[in-house]
Amino acid sequence: MNRLQKSVLTALCLAGSLLLASCSSSPSEEEMKALNDLKAEVSALESKVATMQRDKAGLEKQIAEKNGKLQQCQSDQEAVKKGLAK
Amino acid sequence: MMKNRITYLRVLLVIALVALALGTLIAQEKMTKDQWQADMAAAGAKRTDLNAQLTKLTADMTALKTQSDKLDADLRACEDALYAMLGVTRAEVEAFDKELGDMESRVGELQRMSDAELLNHRDEIERMNTRLGEMSKSKIAMIPRYGQRVQSLHEKVTALMGSISKEKSYTVGTWARNRDCLWNIARKKDIYANPWMWPKIWQGNRDKIKDPDVIKPKWVLKIPEGKELSKSEKAAANSYYRKKASAPEGN
Repeated sequence: MNRLQKSVLTALCLAGSLLLASCSSSPSEEEMKALNDLKAEVSALESKVATMQRDKAGLEKQIAEKNGKLQQCQSDQEAVKKGLAK
Repeated sequence: MMKNRITYLRVLLVIALVALALGTLIAQEKMTKDQWQADMAAAGAKRTDLNAQLTKLTADMTALKTQSDKLDADLRACEDALYAMLGVTRAEVEAFDKELGDMESRVGELQRMSDAELLNHRDEIERMNTRLGEMSKSKIAMIPRYGQRVQSLHEKVTALMGSISKEKSYTVGTWARNRDCLWNIARKKDIYANPWMWPKIWQGNRDKIKDPDVIKPKWVLKIPEGKELSKSEKAAANSYYRKKASAPEGN
């Protein structure tokens, strides 16, 4: 075997082993599907959390308004009491 | 022969190198098992965190809804007690509120009108003024938020009344002394300074002037604002001119 043949064989062996190594360390299709499913679930949960946070903020605003109305009503009651007492 | 073999081997060498390069590239693009495991762990942790957030948010929402329902009940009870003190029903208060709201929007529209336009709504403004006087004496107006609204609206209507009463007037003199007729009155510098505006005085005083050729001394005529005749005033003038043209001479 001359020098050239040796070097070609070496290169082929190297390329083959690298290709084999890269193929053998990748996740399987099932594993990739599991990862994608998990990511989709996370995305749906993020969206649900964002919606609930908006709903919560809206409800808090409504409560603040109702509190204001209740205070106003109580103050109206006091004023009417005074007015009727005159 | 030897030369061909060398060429063949060189080609094989190039192919091997290309295969090596491609293999490396593919390996770089593909996810490794380690990366997959790291991604799975990160996504799993995020899911756990989001589920915890969701549980907390659900509990918060339930508590807030309970609080909101309680506030509704408290507010209703407070209002019922307030109305009972005054001896009025909720329906009466709601009707009062609606009437006030309608008047507020109407007054807003009237406030955007010119004084001349307002004159056409004199009756409406006067009616509102009277009604607001009645409303201010209503028991419901004892509730400060309604009392304040009625007062504020009354002030606005009073201002509108002021705009209407800014209208000029003219007291008719005698023909012998003042040569007063609608034409001559309209011609006066402090009236319209334009005799052709006489139909405006006529139409603005239809309650008094039945025949524009006849005005009586001591009548106080309203002098409507404006520098031009409106369509209806022009139509009235044209009708008058036609009537005069068709009447037998001497009339």
